[in-house]
Amino acid sequence: MANQSRRDFLKTAALAGAAVTGLSSKVKAGPKNILSENRMGALIDTTVCIGCRKCEWACKTAHAMETQSIETYDDRSVFKNSRRPTDKALTVVNEYPNDISENFPIDVKVQCMHCDHPACVSACIVGAFSKQENGSVVWDGDKCIGCRYCMVACPFQIPAFEFDKALKPDIKKCDFCNERTTKGKLPACTEICPVEAITYGTREDLVKAAHQKIKLYPNRYIDRVLGEYEVGGTSWMYLSSKEFEKLDFPKLGKDPAPGVSETIQHGIFAYFVPPVALYALLGGVMWINKNKKKHDSGAEGE
Amino acid sequence: MKTRIFILMFFCVLAISAQNKKTPPSMVGLTCKNCHTSAVPTKDKPAVKPCPRDNMVSVDQPAGKGPEVVTIDKLKNQTNVYSPVVFAHRLHAEMSGMSGGCKTCHHYNPQGQVIGCSECHEANRKREDVSKPDLNGAYHRQCMDCHRALNGKTSCVQCHQLNISGHQPDTQNPAMSIGKKVHPVIVAPTSLKFDTPQAPGKLVTFHHEEHVKLFKLECQNCHSNENCIKCHAENKIESIKTRTTEQRHAVCSNCHNTKENCGSCHADKPKTGFDHKEYTGFDLTRFHSKVTCNRCHVEKGNFGLLKKECANCHGVWTQDNFPHKKTGVVLDEIHSTLGCTDCHQEKDYSKPACTSCHDDKSYPKNIPGKLTGKTLSKN
Repeated sequence: MANQSRRDFLKTAALAGAAVTGLSSKVKAGPKNILSENRMGALIDTTVCIGCRKCEWACKTAHAMETQSIETYDDRSVFKNSRRPTDKALTVVNEYPNDISENFPIDVKVQCMHCDHPACVSACIVGAFSKQENGSVVWDGDKCIGCRYCMVACPFQIPAFEFDKALKPDIKKCDFCNERTTKGKLPACTEICPVEAITYGTREDLVKAAHQKIKLYPNRYIDRVLGEYEVGGTSWMYLSSKEFEKLDFPKLGKDPAPGVSETIQHGIFAYFVPPVALYALLGGVMWINKNKKKHDSGAEGE
Repeated sequence: MKTRIFILMFFCVLAISAQNKKTPPSMVGLTCKNCHTSAVPTKDKPAVKPCPRDNMVSVDQPAGKGPEVVTIDKLKNQTNVYSPVVFAHRLHAEMSGMSGGCKTCHHYNPQGQVIGCSECHEANRKREDVSKPDLNGAYHRQCMDCHRALNGKTSCVQCHQLNISGHQPDTQNPAMSIGKKVHPVIVAPTSLKFDTPQAPGKLVTFHHEEHVKLFKLECQNCHSNENCIKCHAENKIESIKTRTTEQRHAVCSNCHNTKENCGSCHADKPKTGFDHKEYTGFDLTRFHSKVTCNRCHVEKGNFGLLKKECANCHGVWTQDNFPHKKTGVVLDEIHSTLGCTDCHQEKDYSKPACTSCHDDKSYPKNIPGKLTGKTLSKN
C-alpha cells in the first residue's frame, strides 16, 4: 500500500511539473528588442568575393588594431588553415574548393552576423550588449563584467575575449563599424572591397536584391539566402553557390536563439515554480518517511 | 487663355510627331518591352528591367576603333591606397575578338555610342539601388573573372601602383608597360587537322573557313567561353592532355551528334570540305547556290527532312507556275500540255522518263523541245 502511494505521488508531481512548464512556455523573451524597419544590413556574395583579404586590413585599420602593411594581405597561403574571428582579427576570410571550377575557389568572409534577435544581448546579465536601431549589435565595455556568457550563447561563436590581457580584458567582435556608420560612412570592409562582394543597404532592400540575383542566375546560386530566416534573421546575409553547411556555417533553425534559452529559464522561474517545487518535493519526502515509520511500527505491533 | 493652351498643345503635338519620325539609331529593332517591364514607361516610373536582359542588342566594333589606353580614374577621389589603373583597352579588345567581342565587358552594348561602365554603375557605393554593383565593383568584377582564370592571382599590385609614401614604383611590373603592347592579329585558319587516338579514323579534318563562310557561323558560336587562358594558361598542355572524350568533343557536339557517326569526321585520310551533292546527292550549284542553309532546312539541327523532294519547299509544280525554260529546255507544243509528273516521276524532278509514252525515245538522246543553249544539270 505504501509503495503504491509513493508511486502515485511521483506521478502526480511529474504531471504537475510538466503542466507548469507547459503553461509558462509562452513567456516572451526578456530584453526588449528594438528592430527598426530601416535597419541596415550587408549582403555578402561569396560567388563574387575574390579572397583579396583587404577587408581584414581595413577592419583592423578602422578599429586601430595592430596590423601589417596592406601588401602582406595578398598572401594566399593563410587559406591553408580555416580561421575564426579572434580578439586580434574581427573578420577573417576562409577559402573553400569550388567543385565546378577549380580556378574560382569560394571565399567566405566571416564576422558577427548582427542577429535581429541576438543571443548575446539576451545572455548578457548586465546589458552590455545591445541591438542598435541601425542594425548593429554593439558591446559596451563600461558595463561588461567579463562573464563571457555571450561567447557561449552566440550561435555563430563570434565574440572573442582578450585572454592575454590580465587587466581589463575586452570582448572583441565586429561592431558593423557603428562609429563610422553613425557618421555617414560605410563600414570599413564594405568601403574597401574591390569587387563589392559586400553590399551595404537596408536589410529589406538587400533581401529583395538577393532573391532577384538568385532568380536571374539560377545556375550561379543555390536558392537560399543565409541569414534571411536563420535564428530569426540576421543583418548580415550570404549568397553562395554551395550549401552553406559545407562552408562551415552552423546548421541553425529559424527560431531566434534567445527564444530557446529564455523559454527554459523564464519557464522554470515563472510563478515561483522552483521554490514551490522544492518545498513540494521536501514535503513529499517527509510525508513518505512519516508513512513508512507508521507502517513499520504497525508491522512490529502485529 | 484658351487660345494660348491650344497653341501650346499644337506645339506639343508637333514636337511629338517630329520625334516619332526619326528613330534614334540605338533604338532600331527594339520595343519598349526589351528594356522595360511596363508597356508604358514614364520618366518618373521607368520600370527598367534588371540587367542582363533577355533580348540584348549587341554590336561588335573593330578593336582599332576603340581607344588605345584608358586611364581608369573615375574613382581617384575615393581611394588613396592605390593609383588609377592604366588599362590597355586596344590590347584587350584585340584579345576579346575571338571570344565574346565587345560585349565581354560592355555587356550592355547597343547600337551607337559604346556605353562605358559609369553610365549605369553608380560611383557612390552608398546608394539607393543595390541591385547592381557600384562602379568600383563593376570595374573589378570585369577584370577579375579573366585574371583569376589566367593565374589565380588576386593581388592588387598586378594592375595598380601602391600609393603609399615611400613605396617605390615597380618598373618590372607588367601592368606598367602593358599599355604599349599590341596583341598579334588573330588569323582564322582555313582548315585544321587533328591527330586523335581514335583507330580507325585517326585524322579529323576541320574546315574552319567553311564553318564561317558557308555555314555562316559567328565566332562566338564556337568560341563562346574563351578568354585569355584559352591560349595563355600556364598549364595549357597538361590541361589538354587530361581532357575527357566528352570535353574534347564539346565544341563540335553543339551542332553535331558526336556520340554516333564517328566516321563523318574521323577518317584515316584528310577529308575534303562539305559538298552538298556528295553528301546528299542533291546538287546545289545550279539553282540553289545563293540560298542559305536555313532557307530550306527550317528545322534547327534536323537536315534530313527534305529527302530531295522539291515540293517540300516549292509546293506542287504545274505547267502554269513553273517556267520550264529555266532548266535549259523550252518544251515543244505537245509536251507543254502535259503534267509535270507525266515525265518527271521522281520527286526530285531529276531525269525525265520517256518510256511511259514512247518505246523508242530516251533522255538525253531525245529532247522534248528546244535547248536554250545553257547546259543542263544532271539533276
